[in-house]
Amino acid sequence: MSPELAKETDRLDVLSLRDSVSTAMLVALAYFVGAELAFFIGTLSDKIFAPFWPPNVVLFCVFLLVPMQRWWLYILVAFPAHIIAELGVGMNVPQLLVAFVTNVAVAGLNAAAVTLLAGGRPWLGDPRKALIYVAATALVSPAVVALGGAFVPILGGTIGSYWDFWAQWYASNALGSLTLAPVILTWLCEPWPPLSQTPEAQRSEALALATALVVVCAVTFAVGPGTAGNSFLPALLYLPLPLIVWATVRFGVKGASGAIFIVTVVLIWRTMNSQNLFTGGDAESNVLALQTFLIGLATPVLLLGAAINAIRSAEQTIRDSQERTAFAFASNHIALWEYGTAGERFWTSANCNAMLGLKPDVELTRTSFLGTIHPQDIAAARDIIRTTAVATEPTTREFRVTFPNGETRWLLARGYAQRDKNGDIVQTAGILTDITDRKAVEFEAELQRREVSHLMRVSVMGELAGAIAHELNQPLAAILANAEAARRMLRQTPTDIVEAGAALDDIVHENKRASEVIRRMRRLLRKGDSKPEVVNLNDLVESTVKLLHSELISRHIKVETNLGADLPIIWGDPVQLQQVLLNLMMNAMEAMNLVPPSRRVLAIGSHHVNADSIEIVVKDCGHGLAPVSTKQLFEPFFTTKDQGLGLGLSICLTIVKSHGGDLSLGNHPDGGVAATLTLPSRQIQTMAAK
Amino acid sequence: MSASTFTVHIVDDDNGVLRAMARLVRTAGYGCRTFDSPLQFLDQYDPTGPGCIVLDVAMGELDGLRLHEELRERGVEHAVIFVTGKGDIPMSVQAMRAGAIDFLTKPVDSDALLAAIERARSEDAEKQQQVDERASIEANLAKLTPREREVLTHVIAGRLNKQIASDLGTVEKTIKVHRGRMMSKMGVHSVAELVRLAERAGVPPHEKQ
Repeated sequence: MSPELAKETDRLDVLSLRDSVSTAMLVALAYFVGAELAFFIGTLSDKIFAPFWPPNVVLFCVFLLVPMQRWWLYILVAFPAHIIAELGVGMNVPQLLVAFVTNVAVAGLNAAAVTLLAGGRPWLGDPRKALIYVAATALVSPAVVALGGAFVPILGGTIGSYWDFWAQWYASNALGSLTLAPVILTWLCEPWPPLSQTPEAQRSEALALATALVVVCAVTFAVGPGTAGNSFLPALLYLPLPLIVWATVRFGVKGASGAIFIVTVVLIWRTMNSQNLFTGGDAESNVLALQTFLIGLATPVLLLGAAINAIRSAEQTIRDSQERTAFAFASNHIALWEYGTAGERFWTSANCNAMLGLKPDVELTRTSFLGTIHPQDIAAARDIIRTTAVATEPTTREFRVTFPNGETRWLLARGYAQRDKNGDIVQTAGILTDITDRKAVEFEAELQRREVSHLMRVSVMGELAGAIAHELNQPLAAILANAEAARRMLRQTPTDIVEAGAALDDIVHENKRASEVIRRMRRLLRKGDSKPEVVNLNDLVESTVKLLHSELISRHIKVETNLGADLPIIWGDPVQLQQVLLNLMMNAMEAMNLVPPSRRVLAIGSHHVNADSIEIVVKDCGHGLAPVSTKQLFEPFFTTKDQGLGLGLSICLTIVKSHGGDLSLGNHPDGGVAATLTLPSRQIQTMAAK
Repeated sequence: MSASTFTVHIVDDDNGVLRAMARLVRTAGYGCRTFDSPLQFLDQYDPTGPGCIVLDVAMGELDGLRLHEELRERGVEHAVIFVTGKGDIPMSVQAMRAGAIDFLTKPVDSDALLAAIERARSEDAEKQQQVDERASIEANLAKLTPREREVLTHVIAGRLNKQIASDLGTVEKTIKVHRGRMMSKMGVHSVAELVRLAERAGVPPHEKQ
């Protein structure tokens, strides 16, 4: 530790110790004043003495507030205060010492029990903690310590029964915990909301309530000597109760403790100054009666206050949670909805209308809901309402809504049916999510995918340029030769009209053949949207083989096609599917570069796997795959070729997956690699096509 | 010699091109046989009679250059004209070295093709003529008696009758008779003509011991 820091720490310790010392002085003063107050009450009247002992309450509250390790300090400073106060009333030394020990004991036991069993603040915050508080500080702890406390009057020379003294000591300490301590703990130690934030009405209400309670108590408790035997006596005791309950219900444990405090103060004041409900007998009985009344009143009221606090706090928690949830929903563009089966009304979370582009005051009904839907998606929106109500599983639909300003947004609705015990549907409910951003990203990704896919096709075409030029050259050569022949024939006599006609027929035929080559090439180079259509895979395979015809010849590769008869058609994008076939075939062709020309065979087979899918196998007779994982082969930018980009198979897989199919590569038992392309077939449409 | 007896053998695995070239060749007055596969050609080709071969280079089963090689190994004498869709210089050099008459790129200009065929035909005709001539010389030589043939070798060696008679141990008159008969059998009137024929037939002049 550096010297500076050590000095600093020392200073802090001194400071906190100085703080503690000044606090301790205050505590000592409070202890002394509390004691004097109790003596003062005791000397005012011969009918009553203080019903509780404030110094113990002071110590108890201090023990609750400071850490246990510091208790010694407050015990230390309280002691002189105790001596001074007690010597002032002429207590002898043993009495005085026993009194101090029991005072500290009850305060310490109270504080320890509350801290250990109920935990920290707020000590009266909920019914469980309040119950622990009452049980510890008004029942067990004073009852136990009273066993010692009863000796104080005995040591003072007072004649009487030990158990009477026990009862007195117990009651005065229990009452202190129930009347004075709650006010200190809730009014002085609990935070108050800033005055400016408290509504005027609430402040006025509190003030009026306190005044009314003082007045009612003052009037009620000031019974004349005649009233003591009156039959209204029990009824009078209940008069402050409505006000106490009111204060408790409205202001929770603070209201409860405040009301009890007022009742206690007014009752003591009234008892000292006039005839009273509790002034019928000797001082001890009067006080015991008063204490019993207050303990009986304070205990349920405090517990009620704690319960009210718990309810308030739960309400606040719910409100906070709702706020958080609403914020989370709004931030994530999510709304909740419920749809009753009885009516056509929706219950929705607050942000739902905004998500549908409706004004906040528009009532959401089936009609107003469907009114927001994009015309093309009405069916999907109707469907989610209808399907959700009958489906056993949650249903999900996507649809667009059109805002009054013309903006279109994508929503996702997910709903489920809520059922009662009999399994009957009570209502449907679910969430509504704005997925416009996601859709935009998806759209962007799809565009990019198409772009890359197109570029790959262009690049394949580039690789095949020579072969395609040759493919185009053949019909051109035939056309030229035929035309020259025809010209010569026409010059000759006799003119062979038949043969010249045949030459022209051939020219037409070869021209069509050339157009076909161009058409095939152009179809593959086509950019942009290509709509799914009915595709005959065998035709596609043959067309692709034709496209590669010249390339195959120049590479000395023999093609063996084994196309299954009666293959069902499939539904897909012919350009993309041809790209896949082309890619697989070109891979296969390249795989055979090192194979002697006479043994280069590219085998393409198609067959029905089962009722639902078609399989196309493209097999080469090269040297097979190096041991790399199949997954790796389909990863973008993975390539085994010297000049490969590593995108071909990755794009192929994406295309195949988007067609609901699958693509796999593996070494064939006969050698070479077999690429297996599986695509779902459309049986029904096959029938229709036939 | 009529052109129609000259047969052009066309080998191309593209039927459209094959048919068109055949049509062109026939229009020009040549005979024509077509083969749409090199293997079929090797199987059915008749190397006798005047003719030439038009070969496509790029064919699946067996490319034109390899086919040409095979033909040369078989000792085929017909001239070969190559036709290709994507010819490059090394390929054409290889073809020409191997003895091709021409190397044409598709689409083939008909004049160029027919000119090449015509060149082949005339070469073929020339070659045929030489063959015929040699055959007739050899036939004439075969008619000679041993003594007449002996006299021939002496005559083309430039010796006089007297010298020949002396060499052969006979009289000049006898040699004169043999010589007359020999000249008449060979169908020549002068020694110069005889020397040319003997040279063509590969008959060496008599060498003095």
